[in-house]
Amino acid sequence: MDPHAMTRRTVLGAGLAAMATASGLGRGQAKQPIRIGSTLALTGPLSATAQIHRIVGEIYIEQVNRRGGWLGRPLEWVLRDDQSKPDLARTLYEQLVTADKVDLLMGPYATGAILSAMGVAQRYNKVLVHHTFGIPSLAKYEMAFPAWSLGSEPATTVPNTLFDALANGPKPPKTVAVVTSKFPSVQFMSAGAREVLKKRGLTEVLFLDWEFGNREFGPIANRVKDANPDFVWVGAIGLDGNLLLDAMKKIEYVPPQHFYLYPAPGPLVSLPEARNALSVTIFEEQPPFTGAPGAAEFIRIYHERASAAKLPDISVEVQAAASYTAWQILDAGVQATKSLDDKAIGTWLRANRVETLQGKLHFDGPGNYGDDLMKIKQVQNGKWVVVWPKEFTYGGAALQAG
Amino acid sequence: MSGFALPSATLLAQSILSGIFTGALYGLLGLGLSLSWGLLRQINLAHFAFAFLAAYLCYQLAVLGVDPLLSLALIVPAFFALGAALHAAMARFSITPLNSLLLTFGLTGIVEAVIQAIWTADFRKLESAYGAHRFKIAGLFLPVPELITLLVAVVLSFGTWAVLHYTDFGKTLRASAEDAPIARAFGINQGRNAWLLAGTCSALAAVAGVCLALSFTLAPSQIYAWIGVVFAAVMLGGPGRALAPLAAGVVIGVSEAVTMAVTAPSWAPLVSFTLLIAILLLRPGRVA
Amino acid sequence: MSEGRTTSGPVADHAVAADAISAARRLPHAPIAIVGAAAVLAFLPALGLPAFYDSLLYLILSWIVLATSWNIFSGYAGYFSFGHGAFFGTGLYTSATLMARFDWPFLWTLPAAAACACLLGVALGAVVFRVKGIRGEVFALLTLAVTFVLGTIVGNTPLDGGSGVSLASVPIPRIGPTPPATFYLLALAAATLALLLSWRIAVSRLGAGLFAIHDDEDAAEVMGVPTFRYKLAALAISCALAGLAGGIHALFLNYVTVGEVFTIAVPLTVVLMSVLGGTRHWAGPAVGAVIITLLLYSFTAADLAVAGKAAVGVILIAAILFMPDGILPRAQRVFPRGKRPPLARAAVASEAPRTPAPAATVARGDVLLRARGVAKSFRGVRALAGVDIDVRRGEILGLLGPNGSGKSTFINLVSGRLVPTAGSIVFEGRELTRCAAYRIARAGVARTYQIPRPFRHFSVLDNVALAAMFGGGGAAEPAAARRDAMTWLAFTGLQDKAHAQPDELNLHQRKFLELARVLAARPRLVMLDEVLCGLTASEMDDAVALVRRIRDQGATVIFVEHVLHAVMAVTDRVVVLDYGVLLAAGPAAEVMRRPEVITAYLGQPYLPGHPPDTELAERPGA
Repeated sequence: MDPHAMTRRTVLGAGLAAMATASGLGRGQAKQPIRIGSTLALTGPLSATAQIHRIVGEIYIEQVNRRGGWLGRPLEWVLRDDQSKPDLARTLYEQLVTADKVDLLMGPYATGAILSAMGVAQRYNKVLVHHTFGIPSLAKYEMAFPAWSLGSEPATTVPNTLFDALANGPKPPKTVAVVTSKFPSVQFMSAGAREVLKKRGLTEVLFLDWEFGNREFGPIANRVKDANPDFVWVGAIGLDGNLLLDAMKKIEYVPPQHFYLYPAPGPLVSLPEARNALSVTIFEEQPPFTGAPGAAEFIRIYHERASAAKLPDISVEVQAAASYTAWQILDAGVQATKSLDDKAIGTWLRANRVETLQGKLHFDGPGNYGDDLMKIKQVQNGKWVVVWPKEFTYGGAALQAG
Repeated sequence: MSGFALPSATLLAQSILSGIFTGALYGLLGLGLSLSWGLLRQINLAHFAFAFLAAYLCYQLAVLGVDPLLSLALIVPAFFALGAALHAAMARFSITPLNSLLLTFGLTGIVEAVIQAIWTADFRKLESAYGAHRFKIAGLFLPVPELITLLVAVVLSFGTWAVLHYTDFGKTLRASAEDAPIARAFGINQGRNAWLLAGTCSALAAVAGVCLALSFTLAPSQIYAWIGVVFAAVMLGGPGRALAPLAAGVVIGVSEAVTMAVTAPSWAPLVSFTLLIAILLLRPGRVA
Repeated sequence: MSEGRTTSGPVADHAVAADAISAARRLPHAPIAIVGAAAVLAFLPALGLPAFYDSLLYLILSWIVLATSWNIFSGYAGYFSFGHGAFFGTGLYTSATLMARFDWPFLWTLPAAAACACLLGVALGAVVFRVKGIRGEVFALLTLAVTFVLGTIVGNTPLDGGSGVSLASVPIPRIGPTPPATFYLLALAAATLALLLSWRIAVSRLGAGLFAIHDDEDAAEVMGVPTFRYKLAALAISCALAGLAGGIHALFLNYVTVGEVFTIAVPLTVVLMSVLGGTRHWAGPAVGAVIITLLLYSFTAADLAVAGKAAVGVILIAAILFMPDGILPRAQRVFPRGKRPPLARAAVASEAPRTPAPAATVARGDVLLRARGVAKSFRGVRALAGVDIDVRRGEILGLLGPNGSGKSTFINLVSGRLVPTAGSIVFEGRELTRCAAYRIARAGVARTYQIPRPFRHFSVLDNVALAAMFGGGGAAEPAAARRDAMTWLAFTGLQDKAHAQPDELNLHQRKFLELARVLAARPRLVMLDEVLCGLTASEMDDAVALVRRIRDQGATVIFVEHVLHAVMAVTDRVVVLDYGVLLAAGPAAEVMRRPEVITAYLGQPYLPGHPPDTELAERPGA
């Protein structure tokens, strides 16, 4: 045997073997999915809205996987049902982190559950991106990042935006009635609205609050009608707005101008008596929002999925947009740091801006909040139309007053 | 928070009306529950689930173009059969009232899951021709769906009362409820009475459900929102009575509405339930 | 009827051996098992399992505390409360407020939480238990209403005000290696406490009284159970435990809102857990809590969520259909263990039945009970119109009269079940008139019921043991009371039926059970309400003989009866009532001849010269 030939063959053989092993190993590692854990209120009173977040999450995961995943690995969503109970949410997040050992976390639906998740995330130093947190002052964990751009002082900034819109409308109001639910994430906003309207020199002619879950809106509607305000701020969440409008219809009262804080997506817009109702939004299916990168594609797929799931309203608006944004934020963090290291992701997010459906977001304010990006939309001809600020309107849309 | 606001007469009157209408629905929902509790000795939590199932069916039929009141003709017999069949299936087991609570809770979970599977968790509102109309009398508004509910509640309550007190069937029911072994010894066919009654209670739930669909927005989780106050109405008047749920329901509804008219609405439950407590302490025997 | 003498010899030897074994087994199993299990479970956090097990187990333990605490009052005494959410919420908000507003350390808020909830419960009970007729669904509604009232108050005042209370900045004490472990250990301690209390109450006098209240509160009170105090005590303990659970939960949640707590969900869940597990057993609710919590948790995978709800429903339905008394009683039937019998059997065999010694010879002839001007009206019906009756010590006094003449009313008044509208009743020098019925029983008054009212869920032995525990007799503890009870059962010939349920007895045996109960209370005054009604002739002879022996024990007997030959045979004197008025009093033979008495019974004029019939007919339609 020629010793050099043997050496060459050995080296070649070893090299081939090494390459084969390396690619084999690489392939094996590339196949191992990145697991993202979260809960949603798939059953219970909050399930109506949570189902939207489920659909959005599934869409995003699919889109990412079609692109080849993150860091060359596919994504897998480990989703659990917290039955609309914060104590269950907390336990499930602990399960996700300590037992299922997921790589990353995504936030659950609604303030209560998010607070529970935040506690768990804090204990294990995990990044938590969340999409539906309503009380920025309670967001005290430095690695929690909001996708819903309320800004850190929404109780002041949102009413100011609203009253700016009204002041620039055809009939600026002088008297205001504030009626609100006592739900935590709504109540403080309404309190802020009362402060703001006073500062702006408007007169509050009525203030009423009701228990969350109240079904009886007749007397409330009556008192609003009696007070005869130019403008009604309704601190509504879920069904409240609909029920109040129903009640007002029954006594043949139409407020000259009215605003609903967090109505259930869908039902409000279809009510004939909701004509000219105002609300807040961070995204609507219209330019200029649809110009954001990925927006058009997302809207298309969402329509398909939402119809398949038999949702009565298949349009993309606040909830769906906030959800998609949350995934985009996490995505950006992972891609930028090229890792799944929570600390690195958190540090990067705090120092940088992320391009999302809502525009470029930054997280360097109190509670990691950036700017208040809420805009005012209005029901016009059975559709939501953005009416303020002017630069976000389309086709000359403007605030209408009855 | 505004303190006491002296309401105008119209506001007060309209609020009282509003309370009466809500109370009528409490009473209508409570009627079937009261009968099955008092006469069948079953605390039927699933009553609410059935009401909502009927409400959703009515909604679905309306989407397909069937008038809600006409849909009663389909829904009521179907639920009568459902209730009777369920009762017949359970009759072979001896079920104490407390056990029936557990059992019907399980049933409620099943029905809720079915509703959510078919109609999703979203809010559904039945838009009917009735919803668009109302009467106006002396400056007060009487919306048609609520009037229908009130009418139905009154007619059914008094009808039930008449059946219980003036017909043989009703008397045998009351006798069996008071002392079952003796009643059986007197030849009362309790088995047949029982499933007839169970079917009737189920049918009453269905009627309540249709009225619900006419006036309220529906969601599966809303099933539980009514349990507390309707139980209160039933217990206040005493189970097994026909007129008591309606009377108690109206008392609760009106007290809540009046509170909302004069002070912060968030205090309403305090007033209505404190009133309840006071009534119970002063006259624990009977109220209505 | 045999006097119950057993033979000596092999049976007795065997019994002595059994006695020794039972003495060794006298150490109660349950608390050892509870504390042992708790000690073992306390090491769980040290095992290094994923921390989420601590949280899941915390949830289970928390529900165990809630369900067990609910059962202590509602399950044992039968007063179904829908207000557990109120007590849980009170504890929760007490803790939360003290932590958030006053910066109390977490652990110090726990006793405060328990105390506040306990106070609320006691205040509620003190009012509600005094009102007659608040039972059953009325009580349930009342407690539910309290929940909503409290929730509204908390939600509308600075306690919460609607914004919720955030506890994010409150430090969690380092009891366990991690925060979840800390909560787990706290809940473990609370659950251990709850189970120990639940067991201890179940086997104690308090528990016996509560179970008696569950079956028949009126009869229990008349037998000597201090129902008001016992209910209040059970409610206080129940609320304190619920408050404790609430206090711990406040920090677990980190952010508390009214809507989570003051609803019907918490009370409904604890009711379900207790019913599923079995409400009469101290561990039943715990079993139910474990099962239901695990069930609800096992369907949290996303794809199972909606179907899971349905599945849970199916499982619950199946469970209750096939295990109507709850899971634990069913399991006990499948795995029977000797429960109380060793004690009782040993008692009956080892002690040759002593015919109970007659009480110290009493001076016959003193007035034991003096009723003066006693009247009772019920909304316009005058049952008693002012009667004067003296009962002399050691006599058997017949109380006669047609139906509706007020005899049962008189007994109800003396025993304290009813309060007289007018007049006074003095027993051994003590004024009984407005005394609580249980005090009257303690003073030495006992009665039987015309239609026997045994406590349905108690065995025959325990029925009598109850009387021994609470009557004037003085055998305070359950074990001693059961020994006594066996003796009395032997006395009345029911020893073979000691472990049967009252439903299995025929009428004659039930009447004798009533008599055994009366004897066990060692009363000085016994009131027998138509004890012969429904018996055959030979059974009547036995009963009459027993009545005599009761008197020979040292008791005075008031004997309400219609059967004349018995009256003639056994009474010393008789008193005749008619329409609530005293008609005649004196020796039986003489009184029965009086014209007004005969008229009262026969309802027709008496023709002089004709002897009265020995068997007097009842006056029809009186």
